Amino acid sequence: MDTVFQLIVSGILSGVSYAILAVGLAMIVGVMKMINFAHAEFAVLAMYFPAYWFLEWWGIDPFVSAFIAFPIFFVLGYLTQRLLLERILGAPEAETLSVIITMGLSFLIANLILIGWSGAPRIINQPYTMATWPVGNVVINKAQVYSLVISLAFIGALFLFLNKTLMGKAIKAAADDAEGCAYMGINLRLVYGLAFGVAIGITGVGGCLMATFRPFNPFFGETVIVLLFSSVIMGGVTSITGALLGGVIIGLMQQLSILVVPIGLQNVAVFTLFVVFLYVRPQGILGKKGRAV
Amino acid sequence: MKLDETRQGPPRLRNYLLPILLFCIAGVLLSYFVGSHRYTQRIILLVFLWAAAASSFNIISGYGGQTVFGYMMYVGTGAYTTVILFKFLGVSPLLGMWAGVAIAVLIALIIGLPTLRLHGAFFAIGTLSFPLITIPILNNFGLDEMSIPFTGHGAASMQFRDIRYYVLIASVLLAFILIIVQKIELSRFGYSLKALKQNEAAAEAMGTDTYRTKMIAFMISAGLGAIVGTLYAFSIMFILTTYTIFGIFIMIRILSITIVGGPATVWGPVIAACFLVPVGELLNAQFGDRYPGVQDIIYGLALIASIIFMRDGIWVKLCTVFGKSSSKRASATRPVTVEAFQTVIPVTDRKGTQGSIRFESIQTQTAENRNTASILKLEGVSKSFGGVSALKDVDIEVGEKKIVGIIGPNGAGKTTLFNVINGFLTPDKGRIFFKGNETTHLKPHSLCKCGIGRTFQIPQIFSNLTVIENIMLGSFNRWGDVEKAHAIAENIGQQMGLSSRLYDKAVGLTMWEVKSLEFSRALATQPKLLLVDEPMSGLNPEETNRIGDVIKMIAESGVTIIVIEHVVQSLVKIADWMVGLEDGRKVTEGTPQEVITHPRIIEAYLGAKWRERHARS
Repeated sequence: MDTVFQLIVSGILSGVSYAILAVGLAMIVGVMKMINFAHAEFAVLAMYFPAYWFLEWWGIDPFVSAFIAFPIFFVLGYLTQRLLLERILGAPEAETLSVIITMGLSFLIANLILIGWSGAPRIINQPYTMATWPVGNVVINKAQVYSLVISLAFIGALFLFLNKTLMGKAIKAAADDAEGCAYMGINLRLVYGLAFGVAIGITGVGGCLMATFRPFNPFFGETVIVLLFSSVIMGGVTSITGALLGGVIIGLMQQLSILVVPIGLQNVAVFTLFVVFLYVRPQGILGKKGRAV
Repeated sequence: MKLDETRQGPPRLRNYLLPILLFCIAGVLLSYFVGSHRYTQRIILLVFLWAAAASSFNIISGYGGQTVFGYMMYVGTGAYTTVILFKFLGVSPLLGMWAGVAIAVLIALIIGLPTLRLHGAFFAIGTLSFPLITIPILNNFGLDEMSIPFTGHGAASMQFRDIRYYVLIASVLLAFILIIVQKIELSRFGYSLKALKQNEAAAEAMGTDTYRTKMIAFMISAGLGAIVGTLYAFSIMFILTTYTIFGIFIMIRILSITIVGGPATVWGPVIAACFLVPVGELLNAQFGDRYPGVQDIIYGLALIASIIFMRDGIWVKLCTVFGKSSSKRASATRPVTVEAFQTVIPVTDRKGTQGSIRFESIQTQTAENRNTASILKLEGVSKSFGGVSALKDVDIEVGEKKIVGIIGPNGAGKTTLFNVINGFLTPDKGRIFFKGNETTHLKPHSLCKCGIGRTFQIPQIFSNLTVIENIMLGSFNRWGDVEKAHAIAENIGQQMGLSSRLYDKAVGLTMWEVKSLEFSRALATQPKLLLVDEPMSGLNPEETNRIGDVIKMIAESGVTIIVIEHVVQSLVKIADWMVGLEDGRKVTEGTPQEVITHPRIIEAYLGAKWRERHARS
């Protein structure tokens, strides 16, 4: 029974670390009707820079870097939208084109990291990396708990931003009816750029946080991206709360699957569930029928 | 009918074979004269292999527009199956390869059956999860690294000391794949693929079974990919690992070569492979030890750049630069006549024998039971969308050879009625009979074959095809042969006054030409019943009259027509019978005079006050 509790706890902890990445992806799909295949690779970039290198160069703790990462990745995201994705806006099959273009981008980032910083797996070694709190017979990793708190804070802030600020409302309006927004005098290009910037910014934060407790390499994103898509699909594609829920489900699935399948096959269980979901309920758990992508 | 001098037959496969053969022979000769320089030969081999892989991928993803991001699944399945059979059972790769093809096609079937019904990019990502599922499973069985055992040089084990043998095999394979792609491009199947890529609903209404077409294209792509995978494993890899054959980098290279060269072109992927592969390999040889990812950076950059700057690919660009675009042929436009449906069209088929096609004379067939039979009958048809009912208990009976007008205010359910009749929607309740047979649950493409044609309120033209190819999609329903379908399409196009536009791409047409094309395409399916949705919208008054004449003439040739129209006064002139709909219910039915004087219709169109005022006066 303790094993099950342990798995549930670590499932939720790693689930939230996926969720902070997945909410950004859900926002991009929802607002721009585009799919960012490079999403996980941005997180990997954040694991190297700032998280890993700031610690190496200046001794800045990755949890501090997480807050520095937000503006850096906001700018990166904004530029990606304005320089790349804006060009295919409104094109026929823009959705498929967006997958192709971001797939190229993901590949580019991964290989640039490979060239610049080698393909050797990296790990961040801080006092909290391996430290745990025992709660009964369950052990809880400190780094993961700190990450969980910061992740939830950022997701909460994103939620407030979208619902309480004028800019956030413009983003939500653009998600509902882009054409209508344009007629109402909303600068769509700016809104899309900001939305993409915020989404990638929060992904940069998520990357830094994940780096504190997981080893990584340049191609780490290839596996994570499909986990993120699984989370987003389960959460109803465009819903932020859905993506949070989806991320946690994926984390739990991954951990609990160890009970039935060999550890090497834990992602097989998740991907199989993803495929089943695609067939049976493409609108996700929280998604409304008819809004399936 | 006198044939135009401008008449040109459909493009024929044999005219395209020479360049394919020349290219492959040139590659073989090049590798032969390079002699013992193994490195150069390896590059030539890689060009052939990547071109072959990209061309196979092109069938489903370029022509069919269904981007299968998990395409490495099939390349990998081919390679792994053949190597496992060879290593553990000693089966020659020449035989084992076919097992690989069979398994790849089977996997495509299993993956395609459910996923090809999905739309959008999440379908594409769905296919990507299959190789990602496969990798850990193979690893778990200890198959993550497999060396191909060396059993002596020879064709049976597909192991040669001299790379030139591999080049020879690869060039034959590439020629084979290119011929298949070219054949698809020139066949009905290819036109259907291109049509469904652009607009699935319209392709379906033109009699294309879109689901089946996609499925077949997917299976062809998968099978060819498996052959390429086998050859890749035996000629290049020696040690097979799950990541090098099921990995995403395989996908990105294939995708990059296809997109850079030009999706849905025969030569695009080949041309792109000719420069991307050598550049990548040379960079890798020069800088690979210091910068291990340099080769893949080229593919990634090329992919992004070509989507942003040259979405149609190099091949299309080259064609426009060197003026291969079709020139306009001017010829006199004929007036529309009923003759179109009664002429004998001379054709010369592939073997050169003269023949002729005659339209079935619909009139004589139906003349006997003209008054008794009803061609279409709706019994209590209801349809609602999430609580909003668009049709409520509608009964309509349409006699043969009539023009039936349907009027009603916006949202009365007129277009829904058409969608239910031609199978886009299945009614919640009620039954539909066409020529006495129940057709309630049939799909649009089968109904099209039964003889229900349709034009759309917002014209659905396939702008990636030429005007005549658009019409051919219709005529393919009656004449599977390209030659005949082409002749029919040409005839109908000319009769509908599109002679001067037939060989142009269907873009930038005037509204009149668009409408004529919609009619031509629908007529080419030889309908018994034609559903015409707001034919007069967007036309000027003079054209409105002309389209009315066209509809009358089509009816005179023996086709029953149901017209939805808002321009009531034009409809009254042509309709024999009218039906008034309001809020999804049939309000009235009768002769045009009866219907337009019916109080409910006047009220619906002009308001209750207007009616009261006029009732008093």
